[in-house]
Amino acid sequence: MMKYILNRRSFMGRTAVGTGAVIGGGTAIELLSSTRAWAAAEGTDGDILNFALTLEYLEATFYQQGNAANVIVDAREKDIFATIQKDEEAHVTALTETLNKLGVAPVAKPTVTFPSGTFATRASYLKLALVFENTGVGAYLGQAGSITNKDILQAAAGIFGIEARHAALIGVISGAAPEGGIYKGATETAIAKGDVLAAVMPFLGGMPNTGFAPAPQSATNLLPIGLAVGGAAAALVAFRTRGARGERA
Amino acid sequence: MSRELFDGRAVIEFDNEHDRRSFLKYAALVGVGGALVASGTSALAAASPSPSATPAARGSSQFGAGDVGILNYALTLEYLEAEFYQKGLAANILGDDAKYVTPVAAHEAAHVQAITATLQKLGATPATKPTFKFPDTTFTDKATFLKTAVTFEETGVKAYHGQITLIKDAAILGAAASIAGVESRHAAVLNYLAQMPPVPNPVEQHATMDETLTAIKPFLGA
Repeated sequence: MMKYILNRRSFMGRTAVGTGAVIGGGTAIELLSSTRAWAAAEGTDGDILNFALTLEYLEATFYQQGNAANVIVDAREKDIFATIQKDEEAHVTALTETLNKLGVAPVAKPTVTFPSGTFATRASYLKLALVFENTGVGAYLGQAGSITNKDILQAAAGIFGIEARHAALIGVISGAAPEGGIYKGATETAIAKGDVLAAVMPFLGGMPNTGFAPAPQSATNLLPIGLAVGGAAAALVAFRTRGARGERA
Repeated sequence: MSRELFDGRAVIEFDNEHDRRSFLKYAALVGVGGALVASGTSALAAASPSPSATPAARGSSQFGAGDVGILNYALTLEYLEAEFYQKGLAANILGDDAKYVTPVAAHEAAHVQAITATLQKLGATPATKPTFKFPDTTFTDKATFLKTAVTFEETGVKAYHGQITLIKDAAILGAAASIAGVESRHAAVLNYLAQMPPVPNPVEQHATMDETLTAIKPFLGA
């Protein structure tokens, strides 16, 4: 077995582990001070990988069904969507194997359902694809500060960048506005785990073995427990996620 | 000058060689190099900077140690990208594709400003903007411009990912990651416009400072 002897204190700076404390902003990039959603340690690396695996299962299943529906007909676009599907499948495989190596049980593939008509037209397929990709980007960024193992951080960041590529490409194919559609400003915006779960839960029939709470149903329930303890942290999350939630509406 | 991570201790220790090999196997699967497993990764050379040489000739040591060094390295890359896009847009060769490139130019300029402001906040001196040079047809031929843009974006993505695990301050790590994601978006779009594969790998690759400086060397110096 490998042992992790990370000096978490030096990695996390002033953040108290597991208490939902907010990272001090003294050295934060001014422009970026509103984009850091990693205000709380959101579980072990295994928890974070299983959270990521759930999202990747959702995405992989989404593209498997969507690409099989043949509503993307342009040859180049088809090729890009085939690549995206392969990427998501590769992420599922990589995360699963990583969890196995860590000795953490990978979450089972969730039951996934999409609203009827999702794959009926190119437009409806593209619309949900864009939401999933941008949610994935924010989700990975939201966990970056909580990952303790450097190699897992490297790998998660590597996947995060690919989700950003997917999001941009789907934006281009959708004919979305360059700024605000294809790009989301000069920096990516993190999304806290609780908000990601709230966004994807309507598509998930079950998330066995994750230990995650059931789907939050009300707006007051959207924050993860760790964040709910601090008013400042809660406000930070609410501020950060407002744009993302509006977009999904 | 060796740059120590986590107070010089290894992030991961293995009970035996088999465990280490197993770890490296999965690490390779997810695109992770083996170098990070060792302790005390030496990212910065000991040579003292020579102010007269170009950034490429001076090597990674010019940026200094620690997070400040990483920020100055990132700043140098952002200077290059910002000037490149500013000149490209001014040349007016992109036609309809200019709408995709205009925000990219704005992002790179914003990155320069943000990193500069961060360095000042840290009490450090931001690196000065190097003199850049671009091949003759860069701003007269659209295809050449797009191809060069792809080179810069892919280099930028790999450069940020090469530093992700070396950054000590959590806030700076978050900021760098949030910029890296934008560079990935740029890379995808520029590849798309240049008719090149927009997602060449299922995970982003990473490069060291020296590898990156070698890649941008042709563009440095008058």
